[in-house]
Order: sequence, then structure tokens, then C-alpha cells
Amino acid sequence: MKALAWIQLLRPRRHALKAALTRGAAKVRVSRLFLFGFVGGAFWLGAFALFFRVLTYFQSVEEFGDILALKLLSMIMITFFTLLIFSSIINSLSHLYLSRDLPLLHSLPIASGQIFYARFAGSCIDSSWMVVIFSLPVFLSFGLIYQAGTGFYLTALTAIILLCLIAQALSSIAVVLGAVLLPAGKIRSLFVILGVMLAIALIVALRLIRPEQLVNPEGFASAVIYLNSLQTLDAPWLPATWITDSLRYALTRSWGQVFFSLSLSLSFFSLLMFINDSLARAFYFKGFSRAQTTPGRLFAPLRFRGKGWETGLFFLSRPARALAAKEIRAFFRDSTQWPQLFLIGALIIIYLYNFSVLPLGSAPVRTVYLQNVFSFLNVGLAAFVLSAIAARFVFPAVSMEGEAFWILKAAPVSMRSFLWMKFFLYYLPLLLLTEALIIISNTLLDVTPFMMALSVITIFFLVPAIVALAVGLGAMYPDFTSENPAMSATSFGGLLFMLVCFALIALVIILQAGPVYRIFMADVHGLRLSFRLLIVSAVSFAAAVLLCLFAVFFPMRLAERKLNKG
Amino acid sequence: MIELIDLSKNYGDTHAVRKLNLRVAAGEIYGFIGPNGAGKTTTIRMMGGIIEPTSGRILIGGSDMHADPVSAKKIIGFVPDRPFLYEKLTGMEFLKFISDIYQVQSSLFPSKAKKLLEQFGLWSWRNEIIAAYSHGMKQRLIIAAALLHDPKVLVIDEPMVGLDPSAVRLVKDILRDLARQDVAIFVSTHTLSIAEDLCHRIGVISKGDLLAQGTLAELNSAARTGDADLEEVFLTLVREA
Repeated sequence: MKALAWIQLLRPRRHALKAALTRGAAKVRVSRLFLFGFVGGAFWLGAFALFFRVLTYFQSVEEFGDILALKLLSMIMITFFTLLIFSSIINSLSHLYLSRDLPLLHSLPIASGQIFYARFAGSCIDSSWMVVIFSLPVFLSFGLIYQAGTGFYLTALTAIILLCLIAQALSSIAVVLGAVLLPAGKIRSLFVILGVMLAIALIVALRLIRPEQLVNPEGFASAVIYLNSLQTLDAPWLPATWITDSLRYALTRSWGQVFFSLSLSLSFFSLLMFINDSLARAFYFKGFSRAQTTPGRLFAPLRFRGKGWETGLFFLSRPARALAAKEIRAFFRDSTQWPQLFLIGALIIIYLYNFSVLPLGSAPVRTVYLQNVFSFLNVGLAAFVLSAIAARFVFPAVSMEGEAFWILKAAPVSMRSFLWMKFFLYYLPLLLLTEALIIISNTLLDVTPFMMALSVITIFFLVPAIVALAVGLGAMYPDFTSENPAMSATSFGGLLFMLVCFALIALVIILQAGPVYRIFMADVHGLRLSFRLLIVSAVSFAAAVLLCLFAVFFPMRLAERKLNKG
Repeated sequence: MIELIDLSKNYGDTHAVRKLNLRVAAGEIYGFIGPNGAGKTTTIRMMGGIIEPTSGRILIGGSDMHADPVSAKKIIGFVPDRPFLYEKLTGMEFLKFISDIYQVQSSLFPSKAKKLLEQFGLWSWRNEIIAAYSHGMKQRLIIAAALLHDPKVLVIDEPMVGLDPSAVRLVKDILRDLARQDVAIFVSTHTLSIAEDLCHRIGVISKGDLLAQGTLAELNSAARTGDADLEEVFLTLVREA
């Protein structure tokens, strides 16, 4: 077999991509491409507009402008690097040890080193493509603001590719070593370790940097301390620092320094590949072989006085209890879910922490007004957070049945019962979570009782609507054959779900905004509410409730029809 | 007990099953044989309520699968050709799940589950997650689960695939025993010796059409093959189709 056999091993990916783009009805293909293009384009343009605006603002800040811009660039690169590392670790684990096609590949007359390189490349592409695409608006805005030439863009492209390669190389070293060190059958436990690491790293990285202080110089005791905090160099041994350096020197056309930084990155990548190659030769097949052994359970079953936890579901009918217990067991025994759970935990902590550090006291506008504006916006924000969580966990819920879905299709359980069981299983915890988010953040904001009640009631109606949309659209666009059904969140159906959710949340907010503003201002000015305002408010709120109810029942009905058809 | 009336299934322009009519009486083992892509699995999946027919009716114990699927499914034990299961559950948890879904009397579950798991050689594996089972063990678990609620109709697609010789013997004995207890059994298989050995009547399907059905003698008569064995009859019928 030739030395570059690993390139041949990437061919099935190419064919699969081609098939995905060319097979199926032309109408469906076009609508999919349009939707993906629209959503991707909107995010891309949004990111570009945001960075361009921020950099334009920084340029208006005398003396500090360039320092602020470079600090921003450095923070972006650290964020990219962190994202790449974790994404690469998860992808490497899957590509190198857990994919279904690996037994076939290892049965072929190909050296395991070649398989390692093919999976290394596949993992690198999967974990990096999105970061590369969304780094381009950042580079473009820097290039335009600093009127950089072609050299900067070429440097940026080389730099981001090197960053991706370094992250992948570091991650695969960690995964190959992990697979050797962990006991056989426990390789999936790496996901747990990853989840905890990811959550902790995210909280530490985002909150200890406290980026809001960069635009709040008054918060520092003196201008010297402020300047120092901005000029504090990132760790010189961090690859993200070398990449940032290559970009900043390319902006000032210091090509010697650019060459040095890129060479440093390239030589580091080469060193990592040398280590990877040695580790792969020594341990990859051994680790893969260990991963093929019987998967064990990570935790012993939870029992209290001889009874299992599922006895707590006594209030459900027997079939519903069976479905719920199965769902809960399958969810918590799937270690690929855990990093996501830890990640969500970390995001919620950050979300609430952000409300606790809002600089309301120093705002020039009346605080009561601002607090309540934030509270109203918070409803939309919490609903968006809920939509993102639902896209990740609820939308794939039907697909999670996988190829075992025949069991339920053949069982004496109607698809309606099945879908509503899925609904309630996610509805209750998500309602509690979102209401808790709203109540805690509103308490931190110290809002009026009216705003508190409005937020709680709005969320009470939005949660079932979003959960039903997720269950319903997830059932209408299922993928029962996917190796990782959770990825269906980024499919056509997943994107459609997010768009419909955004539209629903926007409509509910729009319906409420006018009446809420008038009621709130009347309250602030101590005025009585007019009869007309009461009628308009009642109609608006009723319309919002009806809209939510429609969003609960309509998708569930469509999903039931779709599943019955088979 | 099983009645298929003018049953058809189209996938776009492809006729997977065309105007299929057949009956299986209580206590009868009906073998369904045909080449690859003949429509066997499609027929079985329609009988199990997994896919909807394009036209025609399926009656299971008098219940119409389209009008009242829940009643029809309550009396079916369904075994698909590929053992896809909930991999994160243990064997015992899976049986409990099936018992709750089919509403098997709770007090009877432990003894029934134990008996079936022992019968299929899975008792020592009952607390291991299914992901750790071999293909054959999964197949045995599915058959055990299908028998848990004492079905009146058993629909099995390729029952012997992945089973070792002793399990094949076990399954054959169980099927014969169930037929003696008046269970109607519909078996699709590629293994002609099993069909010949096990089934009271056999249906031959090719390209979606039922070519012939009956006892081996009746099939020989339809194929004009004298007293040939099932393999010869099958090849003749399919060749001439």
C-alpha cells in the first residue's frame, strides 16, 4: 500500500458529501441550500457588521484604539483556539475510536498509521470548517479598518489553518494517550472528563477575562492600571499568541515578524505531528482494539430501599412510565450527551452572572426604566436560550430512537401518545429551568412586580410552544440512521426549527411590547390605565397566548401524521 | 388469524408488493420465501404496523391494522430481520420496558422474564447493557421479548440469522410448540430447508407478486415439478415469473 493511502481513505467522505448535495428531489435540494445559505449568510454578515462596528468604534478612541483592537483580536484567537481544542477532542474520539466504519477499515490491508492519518484529517475538517468560515468576517473587518493588502489576507488564511492543525494535533495526542490510559470499555468516559473540563474552562475563560471592563476605563483605579491590563501579553508559549502575532504584524506589514510567527507555528505543528506519528505507531491500534471490548456502565444503578428511581414516575400510565424510564436511562447512559449538559450548566452560570454585573448604577438613563427594559428583553433572551437548548436536546428526541424505532412502531402505543410523552418529558424540566432563569435574573435586576409576573407568564406559554415545535419538527425531519442523532440540530429540520422559534419569539415580543410599554409608563407616571389601553392590551396578550397554543398543537399534529405514514 | 386482502405497497414507481392476498389460520406456521428484493420484508413491516400499505387491508385476529392499530399490535409478537434495540438498556430493563408497553400482568413479569431469559441463554447477561451483546444474543433477546406477552400472532423476519445451531434448534422447537398452542406464525426466510422443515404452508413471492402458496405438494403442482424438493420448486417458480 502506498505511503499516502490515507488520502484514498478520505474518498468515502467525498462521495458522501457529493451524494448529499446531488441526490434527492431538486426542489428539496434547492430549498435546503437556500435555507442553509440564508442562515449561514445572515450569521456571517451579522458577525462582519458587529466586528466592523466595534473596530470602527475602537478607532474613534484616541490612543487606546489600536491596543483595544489588538486585545480583541487576541481574545478572539484564544476563543477560537479553545473551541477548536474541544471540538477536535470530541471529533478525534469519535473518528479514531468510535465510528461504525472503523472495524471495516481495520480489516482492510492498510497500515493502522494510514487509518490514523485519514481519521486525523477527517476530524480536523469536521472540527475546523465552521471556525474557518466564521473567522473570515473577523479578518475582513480588521483588513478593511486597517486598509491591509493581499499579504494580510494570505497571512490570515495561513494562520487560521495552522491554528486548526495545531489544535487537532494537540487533541489527537490527548485522545490517543487517554485511550491507552483508560481501562478497556471505558473510553467513552472521556466524554465525562471532557464535559467537566469544557464547563470549567468556559466559565474561567469568559468570566476571568471580564471583557466588559475593556470598554469601561472608569472601573480601573488609574489609567496606568487600565493600560497595563490591556497590554498584558498573552502567554508567549500559547499557539494562539503566535497566530495573533502573525496577524498583528501583517496589519503593520512587518513581514519578517510575520514569517517568524508563522514559522514558529509551523515548526510546533511539525513537532506535534512527529509526536502523533510516534504515538500512533505505538498505541493507536492497541487503543482501538481496547475500545472494541464490551462497553461497561459508568455508574451502578441508583436504588433507594431496594426500589429503582423509576418508581418515582408512579403517576404515569404503565406504557408512559416505560417510555419515560427508557428515555431517561438512554439519555443519561449516553456519555456523548454529558459534555453538552455540563456546557449548558456553564452557560447558565455565565448568563446569570452577566445580570449580576450589569452596570445599571452608572447608567445615564433612569435605573427603574432600564431595569424593566432589560427584564422585557430578558424574556426574549431566555426564550432564545431555551430554543438553543431545545434544538440540541429536544429536536433530536425522536431521532434518538434510532433504528430501534421499529419497537415502538410495532408496539400497541399510538404515535400520538409517543409524541406527547416525549413532549412532557422535556417540557417539565425545561419549564422549571427557564422559569428559574427568568425569576433569578429578574430578581437580580430588581424589576417591578408587573414585569416579574409578565415575564413568568410569557415564559409559561412560550416553553410548551418551543418544546412542541422541537418535538414536532424533529419527528417530521427525523434521522433514524445517524451515528450521532444529536447532530440533527444542524440539519435542515434543525435550522427550520430555529427559524420558526425565532419568528415565534419575535411575534410574541412584538405583540406584547406596545401594551407593556404603555402600562409600564402609566405606572411610572402614576396614571390610570384607559379603557382603550386595557382592551388593546387584552387583545395583544390573548393573541400571544393563542399563537403559543397554535405552536403547541399544530406541529404535534403534523408530526403524528408523518410518523403514522412511516 | 392473519388475513391480507389486496395488500399493495408502492415506493414511487416501484411496486414492492402487489395485490397480496393470503390467510394464516390459528396454529399454522406459514413460510414466506422469495429472492432478495421480492417484497418479503415490506410485507412483514406492513403486517407489524411499521409502514403503511399503499392500499389493501391487514386483519390481525379480526382487528384492522389501519383502523385500530393498537388492538392489532397487542396480539402480535414481531421480530424484525435486524436486531436493532435500545443499546443503553440492559436485557432485563428491555424486557421490563416491553412488558410495560404490552401491559403484561406485573406480578407475572419476573417469572416470565426469568423463564425466557434462561430459555434463550441470556440470564447471566440480564444486567449487562445491550450494546455489549453479540448479534446472536440480540436476536435471541428480541425473540424472547416478542414472546413475553403471549402473542396470538407471531410475525418473524429471518428468525435464524445470527443464531448458533443450538439456538436455531431452540427457536424451531419453540415455534412448533407455539403453533400447537394455536398461535398463528408467519415466517419469512431465505433458508429453504427451514421453511420445508417447519412450515405447514409456504408462499413464494417474487417482484412483489405472490407466485404460489400451499403445502409442498401444492407448490409442486403449481410449478409442475413432480415431487421435487422446495429448492427446485422455488427456483422454477422464480425463474418462470
